[in-house]
Amino acid sequence: MSDEILDGITQIDCDVLVIGGGTAGPMAALKAKRKNPKANVVLLDKANVKRSGAISMGMDGLNNSVIPGYATPEQYTKEITIANDGICDQAAVYRYAEECYPIIQELDSFGIRFQKDNNGEYDVKKVHHIGTYVLPMPNGDTVKKALYRQLRKSRINIINRYMATRLLTTEERVAGAICVNTRTAEFLVVRAKSVIMSMGAAGRLGLPSSGYLYGTYENASNSGEGYAMSYHAGAALANLECYQINPLIKDYNGPACAYVAGPLGGYTANAGGERFIECDYWSGQMMQEFHDELQSGNGPVYLKLNHLAEETVSEIERVLHIVERPTRGHFHAGRGTDYRKDMIEMHISEIGFCSGHSASGVYVDENARTTIPGLYAAGDMANVPHNYMLGAFTNGAIAGEDALDFSADVDFAEIDKDAIEAERARVLAPTKRTDGIPPNQIEYKTRRFVNDYLQPPKVTAKMQLAQQRFEEVRDDMENHMYVRDSHELMRSLEASSILDCADMAASASLYRTESRWGLYHNRVEYQRDDENWFCHTLLTKGEDGKPTSRKEPVKPYIVEIADDEKDAYNKQRVKATATAE
Amino acid sequence: MSQLFEEFDEISTLAEGLDDAEAGGRIMAVIELANSADPEAIPHLAKAIIDPDEGVRKQAALALTAFDGSATAAALVVALGDESQAVREAAALSLTELKDPEAGDALLPVLTDSNEFTLLACLAGITELRRPEAMAPAIAALAHTSPMVRCQAVSVIGWLQDSTAIPALRSAATDEHPTVRRTALAALGFNKSDHSEKILISGLDDKDWQVREAAAETLTKSGSHTCIADLINALNDEYWQVRLKAVRTLGRLGASESALHIGPLMSIDVPNLRKECAAALGELCVPASREFLELFKDDGDPDVRKNVRWALGKIDSL
Amino acid sequence: MPLAHAASTVPVVVNDDLCIADKGCTVCVEVCPLDVLRITDLLDGRKTAHMKYDECWYCMPCEADCPTGAVTVNIPYLLK
Ligand SMILES: Cc1cc2nc3c(=O)[nH]c(=O)nc-3n(C[C@H](O)[C@H](O)[C@H](O)COP(=O)(O)OP(=O)(O)OC[C@H]3O[C@@H](n4cnc5c(N)ncnc54)[C@H](O)[C@@H]3O)c2cc1C
Ligand code: SF4
Ligand code: SF4
Repeated sequence: MSDEILDGITQIDCDVLVIGGGTAGPMAALKAKRKNPKANVVLLDKANVKRSGAISMGMDGLNNSVIPGYATPEQYTKEITIANDGICDQAAVYRYAEECYPIIQELDSFGIRFQKDNNGEYDVKKVHHIGTYVLPMPNGDTVKKALYRQLRKSRINIINRYMATRLLTTEERVAGAICVNTRTAEFLVVRAKSVIMSMGAAGRLGLPSSGYLYGTYENASNSGEGYAMSYHAGAALANLECYQINPLIKDYNGPACAYVAGPLGGYTANAGGERFIECDYWSGQMMQEFHDELQSGNGPVYLKLNHLAEETVSEIERVLHIVERPTRGHFHAGRGTDYRKDMIEMHISEIGFCSGHSASGVYVDENARTTIPGLYAAGDMANVPHNYMLGAFTNGAIAGEDALDFSADVDFAEIDKDAIEAERARVLAPTKRTDGIPPNQIEYKTRRFVNDYLQPPKVTAKMQLAQQRFEEVRDDMENHMYVRDSHELMRSLEASSILDCADMAASASLYRTESRWGLYHNRVEYQRDDENWFCHTLLTKGEDGKPTSRKEPVKPYIVEIADDEKDAYNKQRVKATATAE
Repeated sequence: MSQLFEEFDEISTLAEGLDDAEAGGRIMAVIELANSADPEAIPHLAKAIIDPDEGVRKQAALALTAFDGSATAAALVVALGDESQAVREAAALSLTELKDPEAGDALLPVLTDSNEFTLLACLAGITELRRPEAMAPAIAALAHTSPMVRCQAVSVIGWLQDSTAIPALRSAATDEHPTVRRTALAALGFNKSDHSEKILISGLDDKDWQVREAAAETLTKSGSHTCIADLINALNDEYWQVRLKAVRTLGRLGASESALHIGPLMSIDVPNLRKECAAALGELCVPASREFLELFKDDGDPDVRKNVRWALGKIDSL
Repeated sequence: MPLAHAASTVPVVVNDDLCIADKGCTVCVEVCPLDVLRITDLLDGRKTAHMKYDECWYCMPCEADCPTGAVTVNIPYLLK
């Protein structure tokens, strides 16, 4: 394992290629294989599927389970539509809501634990009356292991440490993908009848305030290839201006878990220990208030638990320090933070693309189909809003079954040899130079400009400057980037996806000339404008090789939203007159 | 070309590593056997669990989480008696991952074990397996000196959802340890009867707030009109957590006489409580509670607002 | 433009007395999502895992899955 750069190229064929074996990917592969055990299903990951993706170490719970008796698909669809300021194709959300409960049961049968009460029934946390969605996972750390066992049992062909870099397409449909080994730089061309992309969020877009490139909210191996590959293949991406921005523990940059602490009485407070927002559900409006408080004289902002009973604090500690981000406990210990005595300082995360928490991503319908036939997307990179972990599983399952059906009816599409050669030349260019700029500096510079110019509040002139700077960095990247081994080569490919995502973020944000989704798309020069902008924006690669956008109508609702429900997430600021207990 | 696909080696080949002279080699064999996810690996892991080396035994105990059934459980039970605490703990953890009721075959005989650690681990393991034969030993374990054992025994009983166990749960509900009392009250949720309700009502007066909370919460499932006066009383509990559960239960029980008691709680500055009150008032649909709801129509908390508007809508449509 | 070497302290440490890389163990190297751990030769001829690249998400599979408890994940200095 010397990370030496080797020369090599192999081609394999399969019926269904799943790229990304984090959360959605394993489920997609399993469902495709179960539907036709004779099918050749390949699951490929840049890391190792045993521990890859957002749920690498497990999760605290399902944030959006729609369990009969606790919530209905109608309620859920309504809430998600409202939380997205109406910009939502409901069919996919509704289908998820209908199909997620059997998925929970299936995950349960895999040995993944969901909290049960003392009679062995699902213990869904009553957070509010109209719809109850949070299902805790007491042993959430077993998720990945349980999934991996199922993959082995079903004899899925797993390929680890190969990173997909480009899709292969014909005029009509998808033909396969080009991948590079992250430790040897060898190439793998996969010819596939259908391709499912589940490469997670674009987590390394903004730079965390710590300045550490990998100190991101998202799993740092999710660097946006899913978005970049879709873009270069000509697929449409929706609403990329609706960034993901989360309230996180400052510096640590992991979730403070209001969903765990909230029902137990924890809340977000300002420096005076006072509540300033009344709802900790992550939304653009909430983030706007959070941002305003940080900017005001009342900041910084904290998670407050020190008013809670000892029993409650220990319970919160137990949950938060075991799974999901287990180093959270180390971090607090290092700074001597005790939840009983101290409030926990919070901050705003870097920006990213992620439908798991917001609404942007590769444009898909309720069958997880992208705009390219045979090409699917599921999980954080597909634009089904507020999807979280269970959405990744459920839509992964939907994609797996539909892709298998697609493959059954077609033969392999022709592989474009020139495209493969062009991609090899692009990928290997930094290995042919004898000196130049290392990928970490290209990446750092891109991401610093993202922070400087794209982080909301969004200003037109700043975003235009960003575009100029990105062009300069692109020139450096294409002509001067230099790598010394295969590991650096992987980083250089990531730097290129990150830059593509940065270009898309700027272009999409400039296109929508209104403000929407609270802080996510707060364009200071523009108000919300339903008349002109009650629509999706779809971004594609234009004739000139640069991003171009168009409007796409929101599909007619299947669940109606009453007028007085539409502002449910606005006006979150605590009124000064709230009576004390 | 470097290796492309993950391999599916023969179990017998993987198991050869268990004969390695060095512990490290044997640990690696255990890891690969676990990764195979093939049940044929179980007998080999059962052998590794009595390896002379502590590290190998611990890894084998962890590896067995990948499998299920009675052979797996039997191997883990052996490890519960290990001289090393790390091995024992690993085995106990793996036992809680069992799902297949058949695994209970290996656990049932151990449910009377005199060793506290073993007993606790086996009770925990059998809880989810829901084996009716576990009832008698679980009831016996309610007399154990360790509160943790008693608590786990209560869970075993609760999961079995068998009404003949109500007397046992009643006595557990007066256990000296609050966690046992709390668990016992929650375990009554499956049984809607006067008997259970009475036990839960006395729980509302417990000296421990979490026990009172569990009582108020479980009355949602097991209560009737009989408990309403007591729940209204609980609206004055010093802990908002208890009040919140009482509010919810009153709403669910349709206790319209409680509406005018719930209304004033809305002005307490705890949004969690406020949203619960609004939801309950909506469920109760008492026109006189309108005045309380109106005050919070534009509450800062979207959930409160949503619930208030929903409640007002229900009252309007009467 | 030649490259400079900038020193940086790495967050993940491996106790080489406990590491059994000699026996073919590569568990931590395998599970790391950022692929930043490698096996290296020690001066006395034994092998051990170590952190080769300071690109860590402090997520912990390397520590959790190491069969001998040889790995410790610390918070990277810049955000500690
Ligand atoms: C810290 C954190 C906490 C969260 N908490 C919760 C919670 O409590 N509840 C909840 O419901 N949701 C939670 N979420 C959200 C949830 O985890 C995600 O929405 C979900 O796991 C996304 O699944 P995915 O399959 O889209 O992506 P991932 O699971 O991240 O998988 C992406 C996979 O793609 C691979 N990959 C990336 N690029 C390439 C490439 N070029 N080639 C090949 N493979 C590639 C990666 O290695 C990875 O395995 C949380 C997320 C985070 C980050
Ligand atoms: S997992 Fe542990 S024993 Fe194995 S190589 Fe890594 S540090 Fe060494
Ligand atoms: S903490 Fe995570 S990213 Fe860091 S070395 Fe360990 S596995 Fe890799």
